[in-house]
Amino acid sequence: MNTKITLLKKELAKAVVGQKDMIEGLLVGLLCDGHILVEGVPGLAKTTTINALSKALGLDSKRIQFTPDLLPSDIIGAQIYNPQDHSFSIKKGPLFTHLLLADEINRAPAKVQSALLEVMQERQVTIAEETFKLETPFLVMATQNPIEQEGVYALPEAQLDRFMMKLVVKHNSQEDELDIMRKAATKGFGEVEAVLTKEDLHTLQKELYTVHIDEELELYIVQLIGATRDPNAFDLESISSCIMFGASPRASIDLYKAAKAHAFLEGKTFVSPADIGAVIHNVLRHRIVLSYEARAKGMRTDEVISTIVETLPIP
Amino acid sequence: MKNNLGKTILFLLAFVVLQAEDFSYDFKVDNTHPYVKEAVILTLDIQQTNKDVVLLFNFDLKENDNYQFQRLNTLETDSYHNAQIHYEYLIYPLKTGEISLEFELLKKITTDESVAYSFSGDRDNIKGLVTTDTKVSLPPLTLQVKSLPEGTLFVGDFTLTHQLKIHTAKPYEPLPFQVYIEGQGYPPLLNSILPQEGAFTRFTEHPLVKSVATSKGTQNAVSYPMALSHSKSFTLPSIKLKAFNPKTEKSYFLSVPSQHFDIEEVPKDTLLDSLDTPKPFSMDWSWLANLLGYLVVFGAGYLTALAWKWQKKKVQKSLHPLHEKITNCKDKKTLLQVLMATDDKRFTSSIEKLEASLYGDGKINLNKVKQEAQDLL
Repeated sequence: MNTKITLLKKELAKAVVGQKDMIEGLLVGLLCDGHILVEGVPGLAKTTTINALSKALGLDSKRIQFTPDLLPSDIIGAQIYNPQDHSFSIKKGPLFTHLLLADEINRAPAKVQSALLEVMQERQVTIAEETFKLETPFLVMATQNPIEQEGVYALPEAQLDRFMMKLVVKHNSQEDELDIMRKAATKGFGEVEAVLTKEDLHTLQKELYTVHIDEELELYIVQLIGATRDPNAFDLESISSCIMFGASPRASIDLYKAAKAHAFLEGKTFVSPADIGAVIHNVLRHRIVLSYEARAKGMRTDEVISTIVETLPIP
Repeated sequence: MKNNLGKTILFLLAFVVLQAEDFSYDFKVDNTHPYVKEAVILTLDIQQTNKDVVLLFNFDLKENDNYQFQRLNTLETDSYHNAQIHYEYLIYPLKTGEISLEFELLKKITTDESVAYSFSGDRDNIKGLVTTDTKVSLPPLTLQVKSLPEGTLFVGDFTLTHQLKIHTAKPYEPLPFQVYIEGQGYPPLLNSILPQEGAFTRFTEHPLVKSVATSKGTQNAVSYPMALSHSKSFTLPSIKLKAFNPKTEKSYFLSVPSQHFDIEEVPKDTLLDSLDTPKPFSMDWSWLANLLGYLVVFGAGYLTALAWKWQKKKVQKSLHPLHEKITNCKDKKTLLQVLMATDDKRFTSSIEKLEASLYGDGKINLNKVKQEAQDLL
């Protein structure tokens, strides 16, 4: 495994116990310039992880708590009038950072969500008539609470598609929770130090390009995405009535990049089907729109994805 | 001829004419040799002989255990100073052998003035009839009473009828039974005419007696109201009552033939009075039955829950869909697909081994990898 990655994981482990999937997802997002949507109940170390990652990489991090009365200018910034010299100055919003934790994104109204999602895609912000490029890396980790569904503004499918992966964060194991409890009681969490720089991260991103992926696996990725759009073409009649809309082209791109990043994080120089299998659920679960019939039956997108993986022959 | 002569002599003996002071009297008995309880008619005629006085008489038979008597008639011819009185009695001798009929006669002498005063005065000034009473001693009259044939219950000329309306009843339901005895003779009365044989229950009442005494004897109509009951079917033995007719001097039987009664079976529960008859005292163990019932239900519920839990575990382990899928995998690629589709980090090791075997030079035992994966479920 890459020594820098090992070092980074070791440093993160000082502040975050367990949650390996979330850390791995964030690293994949960082390496691939993607954004991560996290669904999980409160208290699963989402903020801690972002903060620890920013410290370990020497990056800036900010957190926005999304509320129903939030305005776009509250996140992107605004032009401020100065009555003393009768001039306007730009006040940049919290978006101007490297790592942004958008907490409970679905509590903000659609215009705020749209403003954020535009920035996520364009990686630039326009305030008044002035456009500002965001510094790289720029990663948004947005969270959603699956429990509270009252008074929320569900993200539309087009905007969900902007997220590279959707991670479902679960509670830690009992052993991990015992460790967290003891460390919290004795203030035993270590101080995270910057072990990598922004340049190191750019280097790692460049190294990612060198990870080989076979043509057959590329075709396999395309087939997997294609199966979500036209299941019957892949002998998946059992789920054809369950899917209303399949995954977009962004899904193919993100699955391709995520599989490579996963292989890279595992210290491999090539992508294997297992790397694709390891990230496909995270990449596709928010991109497939289930039919009413499937939702009525209580089906989840993860089941559809599992069926596709099981059915399509691997190279 | 000899018999006729004897009867003539007896009649003469029974016809006694006696002369006493101031009056004469004569007794007549129609039979001086009666059977026990045979009717005997006694007549007494008193004739005043002293016409100077006013005579009054009181006559009666003396009470005696040897006979019963009843005055049938008293006829007085009350002409002035010439009293003539005729008495007629019905007598039943009750003992065999010689019995004496004893009499009481009171002669009352009064005057015309006394008679006249006794009819005068008013309500507050009554003067009684003043008489001079004299007891007259009359000689007793002897009867030679003959014994009855052995076993005779009734004496006279009787007929017997009975009434029995039903022969079928429920257990302990009374079966009414009535016997009527009619005829002339000594009143046919018994404490019970039912036979002693038989285990059934007898209900009896005093017999209802209608009897009229006449100069020919007593005309009787006696009814015996009875009832019988039993829990089972039974038979009333025949009733035979021996009677003797003194006129013909022959015995005969008054009889009721044997009667069978059918008792229907009735469930005992229906015989109990559920309202007024309290249930027999017994220890109430219903609380224990209830408690045991609750314990059984609780135990059954608890065991069902346990069994359900065990069954669920067993089903989960043995029938886990992935378990079957892994078993059905025939090659490494299929198994890799199945494990990849689970999105479960527990299978990372198995996936790595399969990949090493498929795309590298690693060697694995497919069944062993399957088993490893199944053990993780």
